[in-house]
Amino acid sequence: MKFASQLGARFALNAEFVVNRDGRYFLLNEALRKVVCKGFYYAGTYLGKVKNGKFFPSFNLLAMLAKSDANKVIVDRQAAWLFTCGRDIFKKGIVAVYGSRKKGAHTLVLNEFGECLGFGRIVCSLDGGIRDAEVVVKNILDVGDFLRREVYV
Amino acid sequence: MSGKEFFVNRYEKLGWKFVDATPRQAIRMNLTNAKGKNLKERLRKVGVSLEKIPFLESGYWVSESQVSVGATTEYLLGLYSIQEAAAQIPATLFADLKGKKVLDACAAPGGKTVQLADLMGNSGLIVALDVDRKRLAALANHLERCHISNTIVYQLDARQASKLKIKFDRILVDAPCSGNFAADKNWFKRRTIADVERNAQLQREILAEAATCLSYEGEIVYSTCSLEPEENEVNMDWAVKHLHLQIEEINCPGQEGLTNVFGKKLDGSVAKCRRIWPGETQGFFVCKLKRVGKR
Repeated sequence: MKFASQLGARFALNAEFVVNRDGRYFLLNEALRKVVCKGFYYAGTYLGKVKNGKFFPSFNLLAMLAKSDANKVIVDRQAAWLFTCGRDIFKKGIVAVYGSRKKGAHTLVLNEFGECLGFGRIVCSLDGGIRDAEVVVKNILDVGDFLRREVYV
Repeated sequence: MSGKEFFVNRYEKLGWKFVDATPRQAIRMNLTNAKGKNLKERLRKVGVSLEKIPFLESGYWVSESQVSVGATTEYLLGLYSIQEAAAQIPATLFADLKGKKVLDACAAPGGKTVQLADLMGNSGLIVALDVDRKRLAALANHLERCHISNTIVYQLDARQASKLKIKFDRILVDAPCSGNFAADKNWFKRRTIADVERNAQLQREILAEAATCLSYEGEIVYSTCSLEPEENEVNMDWAVKHLHLQIEEINCPGQEGLTNVFGKKLDGSVAKCRRIWPGETQGFFVCKLKRVGKR
């Protein structure tokens, strides 16, 4: 998957189990594949959608990638909360980095418990020489999105 | 025939003295996701105190909260769902859900669907139906947030469930209903007995369709958040007499189902249903049905 490779992950899904419904992609298991009918609204694990030629991953997919060798930054509690509120990550909020540290690379953002909060883009190299108060990871998608998109509670 | 006085008189005739009630806020831990995560302690650290609900395995009252429980990171990660306590009961009444084929006939916004998936450990299959496309968006968000992987959702009227040509081992009919005053402060102003009768008819049609989709020895759990016997005991009496179903014993809070409704005698087995009058929880009704013989 192209999106996974953007995160530096070696990750593949069995294409036979992936279905597309109006630009939204779902991963089925064997039991679901046997019974799923045309015209479903949602099925199995939602992977993400393609809109105007661009792929928007789901949080299920990000959580799956977090278990792979994808680029990751682990952030402290305060940075995690701010990221969930849509903010970027400052150098001082980063606890650990796994995978690419290069400017321009995409990286998953995980909290202190190793839970994936979303992903972003490294906007300046994480190799040192950066001030604590400088933004190093630009927020692209965070779990606060569930609140922003919710119609019904 | 409407208004507070009319309905309160009905409740008194059914043996309950009206008290205004505000249900306590409750959450349900998604055990599949929250296992080993010490969720209670994590929430305490962000200012949310929980108190175990004695009649639910994974239900907690929110006894104090300095933040919105619908906006914590733990909520957004699907470690718990906000679900009214009585509404957590129906899914727990099925025997052995793991690996089964389950129909959630009126699923949106998906609280009980996610609960079923959690009880199934994401095994087996859930087919979740709802007729309203807008509500399906909420259901889809709920499934994604809680990382549910065993569910297929269709925009389909529950009265057409047999079109799927699947025989289900377990069917949840959390039927569209008139609701109750504890969950809706304008309830007495909005509802009439005609609404109740219309809903009761719709519920029978859904139940009849559910019965046709039920496998041999399958189970149906029927629930509503209505206090009106026409939508509850009277419908269960009808199901016993017309759908080759029998009412099973259940172990949950609430008083026995009414077997005499405004002078009309119902089948004695209706007493096995449970009726919860509003108090700490909203008003609720639940019943478990099983197929009698092969159909």
